[in-house]
Amino acid sequence: MVPIARRMLFTDRRRALLGVAGVAIALVMALTLDGIFAGTTRQVSRFIDTSPADVFVSQEGVRTIHMAISLVPGAVADEIRQLPGVVWAEPVLFSSDALRVAGARRPSYVIGYMPGGRGGPQILVEGRDPGPGEMVIDDSAATALDIAVGDEVEVLGATWTVSGLTTGMTSIVNTSVYVTFDDLATALASERTASYILIGTEGDPEAVAKSIEAAIPGVESQTRPRFSAEERSVVREMSTDLLNIMSFAALLVGLAVIGLVLYTSVLSRLRDIGVMKALGLGRIGVTRLVLIQGLWTVVSAFALAVAATFGIGAIVASVAPDIDVVVETASLVRAGAGAILVAAIGVIVPLIKVWRVDPATVFRRPS
Amino acid sequence: MSGRVPAARRMTTADPKRLVVSLLGVGAAIGLVLLLQGLWNGQLVQITAYEDNVGADLFVAQSGTESILGDRSTVPLAAIEELAGVPEVQQADPVHIHYTVFDLHGEKEFVLLVGSDPGDLGGPWEVSGGRAPAATGDAVLDRTFAEEHDIGVGTEFEMGGRTFRTVGLSEGTRSWMTSLVFVTAETAQEMTGGGEVATFLLVRTDEPDAAAAAIRASTGLDPLLPATLAENDREIMAGIMEGPVLLMIGIAFAAATLVVALTVYSGVVERLREYGIVKAMGAGRFRILRLILGQTILLAVAGSVVGYLMYLGGAWLVGQLRPQFWFSLQWRHLMVLSGAAIGMGLVAAIIPARRLGRLDPASVYRG
Repeated sequence: MVPIARRMLFTDRRRALLGVAGVAIALVMALTLDGIFAGTTRQVSRFIDTSPADVFVSQEGVRTIHMAISLVPGAVADEIRQLPGVVWAEPVLFSSDALRVAGARRPSYVIGYMPGGRGGPQILVEGRDPGPGEMVIDDSAATALDIAVGDEVEVLGATWTVSGLTTGMTSIVNTSVYVTFDDLATALASERTASYILIGTEGDPEAVAKSIEAAIPGVESQTRPRFSAEERSVVREMSTDLLNIMSFAALLVGLAVIGLVLYTSVLSRLRDIGVMKALGLGRIGVTRLVLIQGLWTVVSAFALAVAATFGIGAIVASVAPDIDVVVETASLVRAGAGAILVAAIGVIVPLIKVWRVDPATVFRRPS
Repeated sequence: MSGRVPAARRMTTADPKRLVVSLLGVGAAIGLVLLLQGLWNGQLVQITAYEDNVGADLFVAQSGTESILGDRSTVPLAAIEELAGVPEVQQADPVHIHYTVFDLHGEKEFVLLVGSDPGDLGGPWEVSGGRAPAATGDAVLDRTFAEEHDIGVGTEFEMGGRTFRTVGLSEGTRSWMTSLVFVTAETAQEMTGGGEVATFLLVRTDEPDAAAAAIRASTGLDPLLPATLAENDREIMAGIMEGPVLLMIGIAFAAATLVVALTVYSGVVERLREYGIVKAMGAGRFRILRLILGQTILLAVAGSVVGYLMYLGGAWLVGQLRPQFWFSLQWRHLMVLSGAAIGMGLVAAIIPARRLGRLDPASVYRG
């Protein structure tokens, strides 16, 4: 069998490349946008995902960290330690402010934790944990603001000495800095409250979470996966409408390009199609011809788009390390489905054209 | 009889179907660029709605505070008495401002909680239904936010473990990222666990500069003009979002350029004989290039006009379905677009021009 459809499409390589690239770019738009939001979503929940805690306790009605206000009486940690299944319980304080140094600034979470405890930075790439008046900052923020260990920075109206650097705690939205619990409590004038209680459990964390809520009124208790999912949903729900608008526009672009590619391909081969029809190729045959070209275009474009998106992600990572472009399977499935839908609609006009081709055109002289 | 033939225009419009599909493709890509730019501009307006409209001439903040978005400000309430002693200060009222996230009907809502004393500066500037908050538990919601959640005046809802009663609906207090929720100062203080402090002291004065100098000297606090606060908030937002927005705009422009290039290239390939004749009759390289550029620029400019119309339609449609999205374009953006369209035409001409550059005029005489 002669792969007529493929040859019709790729005989003019430049045109084929332009067409495939055009559809690919439309898919790249959708994939990149998806990837930026997926990356941001993962960054936002990093404190939770990297924490050794199995359960997180917050004020009742508060299910996230990002921009939330949670107040839990300090004594609650003592009550929780008495409950069965609880191995350890540590309070942490959260606030937000700008990390400032010599005219530069960066929005930041300020996390206060017990020295030597489990609420602090999970990795130290340089230096040590903070003591009184000291702070650990993220290495990405340190690079951006030209801060080194031993330098002084300003947060919450006070000056702090950088004692160490952690990593992985800077996102497109903000960075995170770590101080001692007592220092932050003093700065916030909240010596007797915590923002969250981090809990290590033995046995089923879900069961321990339920028992905490049953035993202690006025608190919310979530396992790490559930807390992380709630945190990610903040970004996801904020961005759903925007993503849908942009993805729809990107698919429109893809639709126009696919329609253009197939239409021009068919147009340039009308005589050839007339010959095939004169030789007996029926409607089903010509329909297959156009559909296969559409499929080839979409599959080639999809492969190119995925490769380009990974390429863009690598470039963005080196140029702007705070922006994570994450290509998720769900995003690929959505882009693929969108591409097929666009191809299905884009073949309509070319199909009508080939159905109407009169085989007698074979016998007419070219004008 | 002599006269110039508009060859570029005729070649562009020779195939109306292809022209329509091409204009649709270029238009969709340009429309997407304008939607992104318009949305970005709208967001920069919305994000500073509070300081732009609340009616304060100065925001007195903790020393070092530069913005609402990125800084934490704590001002002692006792400072109000000191401000009363400044002759230029006509009125000074505390306001409590905090971002928070809560679940409403299964969706995460990211809001800016604003607490002020009844009748004082700081509350909603335009209440279209009901009244401003007057007692603990009262809340004023943005009208579009309330409508989305089927909340009306008198409806109760849960936030941060507390029950609130909607007493009024405000106008112009929502963006696609966040919405303002107005409560009393007492409610805000309870929710944030704050003591005798506020976030800002809002000041009315006829002499902002003199009042600011006097306040700074007597209290050590930082009085900020609303315009300065707004500019700093926009800068923070730009730091977060500008990179991804520019990346998407760049990709969309690339898509539009490819569509133009594909359209003109397809036209060139179909009319190789005609171009061969033109070359055989003595048209030099420059003449041929002008012919190509004429087509690409015509297509790019026409496509941009279509794109602007698609933007207007898209912005209207989105505004109807999702009123929290504001779009705003200025004339300078349209001027930049016009220049970009011409640039797009220039780049898109490269491949078709190279194809014609290699065309042998003798091909005209071959069968």
